[in-house]
Amino acid sequence: MMSWLTSFQCLASAPTETVGTEGGFLVLQVIGVLLGVMGLLFFLGAAVGLLRFPDFYTRMHAAGKGDTLSTMLMLAGFGLVTMEDLSLGSWLLLIKIMAVVLFVYLTSPTSSHALMRAAFEDDELPLTEDDLRNSKRGKRRKKR
Amino acid sequence: MTHWFAIIMGAALFTLMIPVIYRIWVGPTSFDRILGVNVIGTKTAVLLVVIGTLFDRVEMFVDFAISYALLNFVGAIVISRYLNRTISLKDMEAREKEGARKR
Amino acid sequence: MKWISLIPVFSVGALLLFAAKDFPEWGDPHSPASQSPVSSHFINNTGVDTEVPNMVTAVLADYRGFDTMFETVVVFIAGIAVLAILKGSGRRPRGRHRSYKLEAEPDLIVTYTVRLVVPVIQLFAFYVLAHGHVSPGGGFQGGVVMGASFILIALAWDLDHALVRMSLPRCMVIAAVGIIIYAGIGFLSMFMGGEFLDYAELERLLPVSREMARYYAILGVEIGVGFTVASIMFALYANLSSEGRLKGGL
Repeated sequence: MMSWLTSFQCLASAPTETVGTEGGFLVLQVIGVLLGVMGLLFFLGAAVGLLRFPDFYTRMHAAGKGDTLSTMLMLAGFGLVTMEDLSLGSWLLLIKIMAVVLFVYLTSPTSSHALMRAAFEDDELPLTEDDLRNSKRGKRRKKR
Repeated sequence: MTHWFAIIMGAALFTLMIPVIYRIWVGPTSFDRILGVNVIGTKTAVLLVVIGTLFDRVEMFVDFAISYALLNFVGAIVISRYLNRTISLKDMEAREKEGARKR
Repeated sequence: MKWISLIPVFSVGALLLFAAKDFPEWGDPHSPASQSPVSSHFINNTGVDTEVPNMVTAVLADYRGFDTMFETVVVFIAGIAVLAILKGSGRRPRGRHRSYKLEAEPDLIVTYTVRLVVPVIQLFAFYVLAHGHVSPGGGFQGGVVMGASFILIALAWDLDHALVRMSLPRCMVIAAVGIIIYAGIGFLSMFMGGEFLDYAELERLLPVSREMARYYAILGVEIGVGFTVASIMFALYANLSSEGRLKGGL
């Protein structure tokens, strides 16, 4: 265990790069960090929705949308943060990360759709207003 | 700064995965569980990029992230297709029973 | 009863974590693996013997080329075994035979996405295969990604749709061609005067140095492995998902 920790500390205190000396890349990094934090915010939304929503379709709504958007935002943020110069290599890296973003953008909604269809054909019924009213009343009765 | 950003990001991602794992654990239907697995799979692709930033080998880990996202997609399609098929087999059995009753 | 099974899970996990503290540090030069003479030989000589930057690829396809060749043969034999067991086993009518014709239409959205994504996946498979010299990757990984693209076609439409593109006899022919490419490169280097799979002797055929001859021979070997793995992946899927019937399926 100790060895893991020490290697982790090595990583944490690894070369504090000389980024930020040039103004342009600092701006890029700040934008990247902002995008990453926004992505975390959307993932928080997805996680809370997945935890709190009452039936499968609403949970799928939260998870599908929040998951795709937060993945896109976080990966774009990392693409900007890791960009240290305007050399060919870093452009290539940005394009590769954007390829992951494009792939997730195409496939994640599709898999959500396929799951939704499978659930719908399994007669998984969405929660209607009546159900909600009945269950609320039932809960209150139980509490009393 | 990049390293600290990656570490904090990875820790936050990991923390936010806990509710999803709870949903996989208790999920009332199997679809809920698969949905949770799918979400975690997508986030693992992001975590791979985070780890790549930590190891200073992003160009290598991005390839892993692409193939992980690909396998995640294939897995989701496989499972939805499998459930679809077992469901229609169930339908067919019910129909066969009805037919036998009519006879 | 279900909860009792958590006890062994947690105890084994705790044992594994306890054992993890004895691991050598990451990149520790004094760990046993780094101190063996074999690894120091590879580290010192890979750059001299071949032009391959990725040491793992050089070890896999050159120093241990014999091993990798028979790994590929094992994959091939696995495919043939599944074929031999399942072929014709589903056609025997045993009791009431359920017809597997399903009404599930191919989904429009899924098919459209797969139509967009499959060329990208196949291109990525070639990239993984050819980029194995520089980054992690190679024949096995590229072959798996390639096979996954055909499996995706079979999932989005149905098995017949994929079998039109990659029929089972064609699969087996391509798998055999992959092994023939691998063994052929080995025999070619033997006829050129070296030992079996000693790629450096191919310099007489190729207009390059001995090191670059190894580079190109490793690429050829990886292509052979990719052929075999991709086609056997799809053959296994097609046979296992439809119980050897090659109809209907998942």
